[in-house]
Amino acid sequence: MNIITGLLVATIRMSTPLMLGALGEVFVERTGVMNIAIEGIFLMGAWGGFVGAYLTGKLWVGFLFAIVVGVFCGAVYGYFTIKLKQHQIVTGVAINILTLGLGLFLYQLLFGIPLLPLTVEPLKDISIPFLSDIPIIGSAFFSQNILTYLAVVLIILGYWVLFRTPLGLIIRSTGENPEAVDVAGINVEHIRFLAVLGSSALDGLAGAFYSIGFLGLYTNDIIGGRGWIAFAICFLGNWNPLGILIGSLIFGLAEGLSVFLLTSNFKLIPNEFLIALPYILTIIATIARRQFNVPAFLGKPYIKERF
Amino acid sequence: MNKIDSRIEQSSISQDNNTWFNFMPVFSVLLGLLMSGLMMLLLGYNPLIVYTNMLSYAFRDIYNIADIFAKATPLILTGLAFGFAFRASLFNIGAQGQFYIGAVMAVACALKLGSLPSYLTLIICFIMSLIGGSLWAAFIGYVKARFNANEFLVSMMLTYVAIAIMNFLLVGLLKESKGEYPQTDVIPKNGWLPSLIPHTRLHWGFVLALLIALLAYIILWRTSLGYKIRMVGFNRDAARYAGINVENIFVIVFFISGAFAGIAGFTEVNGMQHMLIEGFNPIIGAEGIGIAILGNAHPLGIVLSALLFGALKVGGNLVLQTSRIPASIIGITEGLVILSVILSYYIRDKLIILRSKKKLAVQERHRL
Repeated sequence: MNIITGLLVATIRMSTPLMLGALGEVFVERTGVMNIAIEGIFLMGAWGGFVGAYLTGKLWVGFLFAIVVGVFCGAVYGYFTIKLKQHQIVTGVAINILTLGLGLFLYQLLFGIPLLPLTVEPLKDISIPFLSDIPIIGSAFFSQNILTYLAVVLIILGYWVLFRTPLGLIIRSTGENPEAVDVAGINVEHIRFLAVLGSSALDGLAGAFYSIGFLGLYTNDIIGGRGWIAFAICFLGNWNPLGILIGSLIFGLAEGLSVFLLTSNFKLIPNEFLIALPYILTIIATIARRQFNVPAFLGKPYIKERF
Repeated sequence: MNKIDSRIEQSSISQDNNTWFNFMPVFSVLLGLLMSGLMMLLLGYNPLIVYTNMLSYAFRDIYNIADIFAKATPLILTGLAFGFAFRASLFNIGAQGQFYIGAVMAVACALKLGSLPSYLTLIICFIMSLIGGSLWAAFIGYVKARFNANEFLVSMMLTYVAIAIMNFLLVGLLKESKGEYPQTDVIPKNGWLPSLIPHTRLHWGFVLALLIALLAYIILWRTSLGYKIRMVGFNRDAARYAGINVENIFVIVFFISGAFAGIAGFTEVNGMQHMLIEGFNPIIGAEGIGIAILGNAHPLGIVLSALLFGALKVGGNLVLQTSRIPASIIGITEGLVILSVILSYYIRDKLIILRSKKKLAVQERHRL
């Protein structure tokens, strides 16, 4: 495997969870709710995935459990922000603090403090016959694990749902003009709550990608801000699934580059700078991207008129 | 929201100052402790025993009591960092990074200055950590003002950059002379903050933190700058129409907020650790957010909440050394306390509306 192929493989692998997380964030923010708990849900997803897979020995149980855990966290977040109409950023930060303790606590409770981190066999790559034999790009695009394929399919499906179906129209209107949606007889809070649950399911799956999709272990700093990066990609991709596809690939490249250079023998740039690269890129992109298509009611709870 | 509701909201904010709403945070702390107690119960521990042990350990002797205040010192400062910006409706969730930059500046000054008189070393460390933290944060305010960048994201991302810078220095320029671990040498004695109570870990940094909390109060409620800051927090557009340069306020608020977090780095390095170790105090920024929320972003509330968190840490750590409960239960308790604070905000708003509705109804009846 030559350098370019290795880099491409790493890029696409690292962009997979970002695609999943950012896609969920696009949907939920289109309904007017910011899912700030995303970082915490990533972490709980990573935990759930590892625990499910380790205890049963089956990876699919891990992924399923990660989704369940993610949805549960999302339900708590949704209850506070949508039902009780509390501040989204404050609630999200609280949940992120809570999960930081919870992930470690539940891990140590189940497994004690093992001398070496416990491992599971991570997800295997699926090579698509013939296509994966194409030189240079073949193994990058057609020899990835199933979640990567799923993420791409979901993004295309998400684009179609959001812009080509009545459901997508409802979702977009809920963020732009919740009153109109309410008058049309659709329950705004239900739509938003379902969107939070859906995005949290994707976040849980994305988190599990880190623990059992490719590393095969769980540590408490396994996510290390990747949730925030997915959150940023949603902004930078202009709340459009195709935009986040490009955004995720760019950040995947930054991360792939740092992983790749860390494991290779080039010592041109200090490792610490490479680790910081995706975060610096996020800052630059946030500054450079001026024109946003922000949903009008993003972050504002919907309070129904009462007479 | 209909007319009556908005009238109620306007009237209720001003007249609510006398009642037991002030005790709301106490209730929410108890609720948080209750919830984490339930969790311990589910896991087969008796929460009553755990909590009484925590209390008795935390207040066992003067050393432990002093430790509560020592642990609270940086928490007061990171709490102020979030709380101060929160008063302007800005979200500085990057206090962790500003704290690290302040700590790096303090340790670098203390190590490289040599044999200056103690007070001079301390003043230089203090000023440099302040400058480090505040410039690091002022960048957030600047990009917010100039490019309308999301301050929330930028401050979070800058934390990871700060960690990278710190780790880079710890394996390079500032690495210990033995060269084994990613940490610095112990700083010379003339850079140590003198201790407040002999034979304990409590140092003068605690007094400094209290003074800074007082300063934050004075800035916010006794100066015209503070008035502008709070006005921007209440209603950004109204503040702009009133002629306030909102963009300037963004930069100033982040500058001050970052200074608080940077000083926390100074008190931790010069007062507590006397060296810099990779990854130390990794959630002090997050705890600061919780403390600020619990303390209603008011300096006095922040000091009290920080003391509570300090006691939780001291008591918790000691209990956990003697039992099998993982230490991370403290983090969970903190998270649950914050969630119940948010819950209490909801209940308070409900009660206020309910009570004012009654009052309005009475007034209407009198009028008729």
